[in-house]
Amino acid sequence: MKASLSLDLVAALALVSCKESGSNGKLTIAVIPKGTTHLYWKSVEAGANKAAAEFGVNVTFIGPQKEDDRSQQIDLVRNQALQSDAIVLAPLDATALRDAVKDVTDKGKPVVIIDSALADSSAFITSYVATDNREGGRIGARRLAEILGGKGKVAVLRYLQGSASTDHREEGFLEEIKKFPGIEVVSAEQYAGATATQAQDTATNLLTRFAEGDGLSIQGIFCSNQTNTYGMLQALRGKNLAGKVKFVGFDCDATFLDALKKGELHGTVLQDPVNMGYLGVKSAIDKIKGTAVQPVVDTGATMVTPENMADAKVAALIKTQVQ
Amino acid sequence: MSIRSILTLLGPFLALVVVYCIFGAMKPAMFTSDVVLSVLTQTVIVATAAIGMTLIIISGGIDLSVGSIIAMASVAAATFVTKGYSPLIVFVCTIAFGAICGMINGSLTVGLRLLPFIVTLGTMQIFRGGAKVYAKGTPVNLPFDVTTYKAWMGGSGLPYGVWMMVALVLVMTLVLRLTRFGRYVFAVGSNENTATLCGVNVPKVKILVYTFGGAMAGLAAVMNMAKSSQGDPTTAMGMELDVIAAVVIGGASLSGGEGSVLGALIGALLMTTIRTGCVLNAIPTPWTEVITGAIIVVAVIIDRLRHRRAA
Repeated sequence: MKASLSLDLVAALALVSCKESGSNGKLTIAVIPKGTTHLYWKSVEAGANKAAAEFGVNVTFIGPQKEDDRSQQIDLVRNQALQSDAIVLAPLDATALRDAVKDVTDKGKPVVIIDSALADSSAFITSYVATDNREGGRIGARRLAEILGGKGKVAVLRYLQGSASTDHREEGFLEEIKKFPGIEVVSAEQYAGATATQAQDTATNLLTRFAEGDGLSIQGIFCSNQTNTYGMLQALRGKNLAGKVKFVGFDCDATFLDALKKGELHGTVLQDPVNMGYLGVKSAIDKIKGTAVQPVVDTGATMVTPENMADAKVAALIKTQVQ
Repeated sequence: MSIRSILTLLGPFLALVVVYCIFGAMKPAMFTSDVVLSVLTQTVIVATAAIGMTLIIISGGIDLSVGSIIAMASVAAATFVTKGYSPLIVFVCTIAFGAICGMINGSLTVGLRLLPFIVTLGTMQIFRGGAKVYAKGTPVNLPFDVTTYKAWMGGSGLPYGVWMMVALVLVMTLVLRLTRFGRYVFAVGSNENTATLCGVNVPKVKILVYTFGGAMAGLAAVMNMAKSSQGDPTTAMGMELDVIAAVVIGGASLSGGEGSVLGALIGALLMTTIRTGCVLNAIPTPWTEVITGAIIVVAVIIDRLRHRRAA
């Protein structure tokens, strides 16, 4: 282990030292996701590998074990900076990762931020390649308002404190939903938790709070990522309420598709993780090669509904996130 | 049951009643059967694992790997289901799977004379990593047409899981009080040397206790799978702390020789009550964490005060 680490170090040093003279060794780019469990990150990996093959670089894909372990991700950034030419990072926290990233860029290695924003970082990062999460939240709000006919009570189940991407989606949703005077947000203070089981418990309790006879006193629900959408869906099914309330979620898996078909989920916002992984790695390569890079790259968000899920373009996007 | 042990249980029980009533006073919905049902159902996983943990803690040990065993066994359970095995086989195999994990903990602790804290700190990572390696990092989803398991953690009326939890608590209370094995567990935890001198096969008792703890984690894993319809290798992260807290709130001593499964059930119920009560009363999530922590600390302080008075 130690031997291989020092070998890597030597290799990294060798790469750095001969870069000026046009190295014939391949560039190594580390891609650090938030976690490795979600299929979403596997799609990011697929996109990164696509770029790796296309541009002839090595991509190391390595993530923290748990989606809220910030300190482990900080260590990963520092360690990968020792042995890679550039880092593509999806920060778990908008501020916790800032110092580590700044240290890396200060040493001259480009860092591309993907998926979630890093606070006050535009001065030193290469590029921010992500879904416009606020816009994603706004798309969700418009869909929910449309199917509610512009009136009703809605609840937002948030994801985790400090997760910038989901915070922005929730804020975007809340901003946009205000434009519909007939819609009232009755709860937006509950965070689901890091795992689907925790999310399910929180969702069940939230539904209990709004129970009214056999139904609910709320007519609409919005969730901001795969974990809390899954937990909410399981909670709705468990209480026999699935389909009785308009429900818009975020991200996708096989269960969501099933729920869309059954009318239990009325829309889910899909990002384009393959494109994100691809453009993240491409921006890093462009920076190293001295090509101009856009400071912000939007990778797009699409509303998937029961009506449009069979369309060729949407189906292709779903395929990047569901096996 | 002696007066002393009734008093030990009375503390946590009163705490549960008081906390429940406080939340109930703020939100009368707390007293509806719907909420009571959901509190009971949400307690099943932690309480089932806590039954095993109680025996381990009484015997003077600890098992930090319980959350990881639940995750790994739930991946195993979901895999068994996707392969089309009957529910009976899924239950038996998953419990056996958990028991093997527990036996590994017990054997390492006893065989190599290592501290269980360190051993299970290691196996916590091994089991967690093993689950992720096997499941390739993503949850194993149950086929959508499998509905057999839903009634264990949901459906109408009391889920089977709640009955199972109550039955297990009754059975294990009797086992601890009335059987030779039960007395041995207390003896080992009170004073290992004395137990050895009295002819108790200490290593055997310890390995049995950890194996039983693993088996209960395996059962909790089936409940976890039934609840979320998937075997998720990242589930139950940090749950070992909830499980240990439940056992300790229930009056067990981390130095061994003391504790009860009924107390552990009450401890687990108390934590679910706080979480449910906070959501029902629209208390923001960070405050839920503060309140849960504070109640754990208060429970332990009250426990120590009572001990001082009893001594």
